[in-house]
Amino acid sequence: MATDDDDILTGPIPAPEAEASASERMRAKAFGELVDKTLAGRTPPPAMSADDRALLEVATVIRAASGNVELPAAKRRSLVEDALRQAVGTTAATASGVVPITRARRRWVPWAIAGASTLVAVAAVLMLWLRRPPVEPQVSLQERPPTYQTSRPADPLIGPIDKEHAADASSRIDAIFANRLDGYRDRRLALRRKP
Amino acid sequence: MKYLVLLIAVIAITGCSCRDERPTKPPSLQPADPTEVIGDELMIALSKAKNFHHKARVLRSEGKLDEAIASVREILSLKFPAGAPEAEDVRNDARALLAKLLVEKGQNEEAMSVVTEGIAQSQRESFFVANLYTVKGEIHEARADKLDAKDPANKQKIVDEKHAAIEAYDKSNAINTELQRRLMEER
Repeated sequence: MATDDDDILTGPIPAPEAEASASERMRAKAFGELVDKTLAGRTPPPAMSADDRALLEVATVIRAASGNVELPAAKRRSLVEDALRQAVGTTAATASGVVPITRARRRWVPWAIAGASTLVAVAAVLMLWLRRPPVEPQVSLQERPPTYQTSRPADPLIGPIDKEHAADASSRIDAIFANRLDGYRDRRLALRRKP
Repeated sequence: MKYLVLLIAVIAITGCSCRDERPTKPPSLQPADPTEVIGDELMIALSKAKNFHHKARVLRSEGKLDEAIASVREILSLKFPAGAPEAEDVRNDARALLAKLLVEKGQNEEAMSVVTEGIAQSQRESFFVANLYTVKGEIHEARADKLDAKDPANKQKIVDEKHAAIEAYDKSNAINTELQRRLMEER
């Protein structure tokens, strides 16, 4: 059976100057303790009247709004680690499965990848730096025709021309022709011998 | 994930750099530049020049100076391979002979133009260019000889021609000396 104390919202409103009854004081004290315990992080009792629960929630909100609420250390750590986990791209862990980030992450993985990449880059740079210059293909002298088979000035063959022989072009052209014919013939024969 | 992307990028870069070898030119198995090799065209031109010279010599020996001159002129119009050094040498030698034949015929001015053209068209100094300067000197001498020394008006002209002849001979000597020095160094 409900009493006046049990139903403070629907009961008669006491006068402003009226003295608080003993039951009211006890109730206020019990509620105050309940609020303190709840704000301290303890679980509220499962059996509670709807009015008390509503009042407790309002008290919690008012206390939180005042900014003086401090989360328990475990809760705080859990929230921080969740935030850090999200920052590094992994899925947020549930509060219940919180493991310290220093242990949960395999910290060596990014370092290993970064180290391997650096090593590869250093190796590549060293290889480029220390690489021997490409050996220019030596054109074999045998690939090129010998000088006597090439077209060239006739100066070494003829030499200086005396004034007395200035008009002896006929003998000089004979010498040039014979000389070049040697080279021409040898080249032709060499080409014929090649398969 | 981003580390994996970085690793792939590094591998790709190094892979590219390793493949980026300078293209190695395979040793040429082709013969040297055909223009450098004595070929049919050069031999045909030399053969024709030789025959024109022989023909001119025979004609000259028979006193057929005009026909000899015509035969030598044919050499100047022969087609040689482009850039063949022999072409310039053979043409300059033909010009020297042609100029001498023209002097023989008394055509000193034409002889001079044949020689000066040859000198102007030459791409390099050679014993054949030196020979052209020698012939040029002879032409100057021939010009001086042709002038009447008794005529006072010709006195200075004769002196000038003789000086020009000396200059031409000096030039010829200078070319010969320089070429001989170069040839000795090459040996």
